Amino acid sequence: MKRFLVAIGAMALAVGASVGASLAQTPKDTLVIGAAVFSDSISPAAGGYLTLSFVYQTWEPLVARDADDRLVPALAERWEAVEPTKWRFHLRRGVKWHDGTPFTAADVKFTIDYVTNPQTVYARKSRIAGVVGTDIVDDYTVEIRTATPSALLARGLADIAIEQKATTEKLGIKEAHRKPIGTGPWKYVEWVAGDRYDLTANPDYWGGPPAMKNLRLRSLPEGATRVASLVAGETHIIEEVPVDLLPSIEKRRNLKIDAVESSVSLVLSFDVRKPPFNDLRVRQALDYAIDKKTMLQQMLGGYGSVLDGQLVTKSTFGYNPRIQARPFDRAKAKALLAEAGYAKGFDTKINTMQGRYLSDVDIANAAAGMMTEVGARTTVNVLEGAVWAQLDRARDQGPIYQVGWFSVGDADFNTVWYTDGSKRNYWSNAEFNKLWEEARSTLDEPARLKAYNRMMEIMHEEVPSIFLFGLPRISGRSASVQGWQPSRDSLLRLHKVNVK
Amino acid sequence: MRYLLRRLLLVPVPLIFVIAFVFVVLRLTGDPVAIYLGLDATPEQEAVLRAELHLDKPVIVQFGYFLADLAQGDFGTSIQFKRAAMEVVMERLGATLQLLVLGLALAILLGIPAGVACAVYKDKLPDFALSVLAVIGQSMPSFWLGILLIQLFALDLGWLPTSGRGGLEHLVLPTVTLATFLVPNFILVTRVSVLETMREQFVVTARARGAGAARALWRHVLPNAINPVVSLVGLQLGRLMGGAVITETIFAWPGVGRLMVSAIFQRDVPIVIASVFIVAVTIILANLLVDLVQAAIDPRIRLR
Repeated sequence: MKRFLVAIGAMALAVGASVGASLAQTPKDTLVIGAAVFSDSISPAAGGYLTLSFVYQTWEPLVARDADDRLVPALAERWEAVEPTKWRFHLRRGVKWHDGTPFTAADVKFTIDYVTNPQTVYARKSRIAGVVGTDIVDDYTVEIRTATPSALLARGLADIAIEQKATTEKLGIKEAHRKPIGTGPWKYVEWVAGDRYDLTANPDYWGGPPAMKNLRLRSLPEGATRVASLVAGETHIIEEVPVDLLPSIEKRRNLKIDAVESSVSLVLSFDVRKPPFNDLRVRQALDYAIDKKTMLQQMLGGYGSVLDGQLVTKSTFGYNPRIQARPFDRAKAKALLAEAGYAKGFDTKINTMQGRYLSDVDIANAAAGMMTEVGARTTVNVLEGAVWAQLDRARDQGPIYQVGWFSVGDADFNTVWYTDGSKRNYWSNAEFNKLWEEARSTLDEPARLKAYNRMMEIMHEEVPSIFLFGLPRISGRSASVQGWQPSRDSLLRLHKVNVK
Repeated sequence: MRYLLRRLLLVPVPLIFVIAFVFVVLRLTGDPVAIYLGLDATPEQEAVLRAELHLDKPVIVQFGYFLADLAQGDFGTSIQFKRAAMEVVMERLGATLQLLVLGLALAILLGIPAGVACAVYKDKLPDFALSVLAVIGQSMPSFWLGILLIQLFALDLGWLPTSGRGGLEHLVLPTVTLATFLVPNFILVTRVSVLETMREQFVVTARARGAGAARALWRHVLPNAINPVVSLVGLQLGRLMGGAVITETIFAWPGVGRLMVSAIFQRDVPIVIASVFIVAVTIILANLLVDLVQAAIDPRIRLR
């Protein structure tokens, strides 16, 4: 009956609107993306990792990551270490800014200098924290110096967009960041905060013009609405399909699901400073208590992967192929708990955020249920983001907390959270700390790999966290879309995407 | 007129209390620097931003700075957007007002006639049917209704777009969702008010002197019964704003409601305060308008 009333109202309005409806269809040459997280800004300095997804439509780094987290040339064609603390980058020739002026070494020096200036507030400056100076060798060669040998410089530079010296100096950083003039595949048209970002193809792009004429990134924060927009044909690609809505896409022939394992590792971390989790046997017991394979099927639709008893995913540098996840074994879990003196069990809780990671609260609830089965009576405590951040800084997350650590392809970026230097660790291990420092300050790749492999072993034995899943990125698309692949680092790479 | 002036003069008082409360609560429950810079910020970066935002001072001093800026019409710079907070809010205000005005108008257009019908056909089928509808409508979450509407009109029938802001057709579903949230109250209040007025002596007298049912309703009952309904409009505005937050989220509508919620999560205090300020001013002004309308309708208020 209710719907009847609503239907009458809607129809009354629909009559007036139906004339305009035909105009609402998106023009054929525009690629429309439904973005789950819409950045608050298109400034490279702005906070939030996913801002990069918007920044990199117009701007580019020296060295880029591809969809599989491998490093590929971007504004630099190649690079090499000339000394352990000095890297030389050979810049791509013939690259033009969107205003037609040539891109040169001066732009690179300008960007790196202002990003590394201690006074500059720049969200991702820590990615190139060790840089002490940039020298222009000639128009197409720059050298970047670091305080100590830095194996991660090129990987860190992948998060730094190179900005145009002339425009930024003329307009000031704030203004220049509002209407980007970059070197990337798309040119800025209009940014409507909270609604959409419109771009047009850069015909002079060094990598060839984009396959589509125009690009629109739409803000669709609500999962059900995002799926509806795809089904209705208003968007060509949507990010982050909610797991419970996967069937509504899978059953339609004109829609497709693409999934990839991201480099985000979801873990349950213990406060090992206090009982009961100061006892290794208790931590191991809970690792045995969780049926990760079943959870992957139920909570993540079978996409992504169960981590192999270590922090990093298979595609990440540092992955140790000799380690396997502890099997699901309730009897062993109970035995270990009894051995540790908790035959009667204990009460504990998991802190988690909501909506931060795919199915986060569902996963925490399922894990709590499985822990309760073996005697660790667990409740789930859902925290708001800002409260979470405060507890995190105070190192007071409670006995167990659920978090996802990003590696963006290299173990250095997520193992740091287990070192004393991070000031966020609950577990501390001297050998681990030492290996981490060594691995980041040598340019010897096999030695680095060996160090990370050993660090994975230590963590597997010590269980500072239960390593759950390499979370999937699940995107939906219209079957007419070609050349799309979701990226492990969740940035949108749309230059080659075409709609037939 | 003097009554109106007095009301206008009192406007800043609730505003300052609301702003002080929002400011203190937000500052005490979360650190914007931590949220903005992320977990891997260096202490140096934090210090720079902290000084820039005066966060290195006690909360009471911060509030002093804030009020001083406010007195000059400066709501501060948004932490997320890096632009003047008021400018960001004003950009979004149009979208929200459009939704609120249309939703309210539709609710009045549907609710008042339905309420009158209930009263006229009291205890008969129309009364029963509409009252049941009203109760169902009141208990139906907007969130669910919005998704049902998208399913029916955008997906199954393909008549309307699912979401976003654009032409007229983009307005239909959000407006209906928002209106449905309000219609039940209008039905129920109109019904009671008309029923009460119908029992008044002057109505009975009018009927006794030979006025037809329609004339009695139109000339005698409605002008007297409408005032409680008009004051309901004023009272509903706060709820309407709450409904707008949900509606804006489902339909990806770029309005102030969504902006405010995301700003709260980010502890972007300047944006939260600028939007609370604008919403409060809108509600206060709308209530003044309601008072004026009531005075125009009812001479008793005018002469008071």
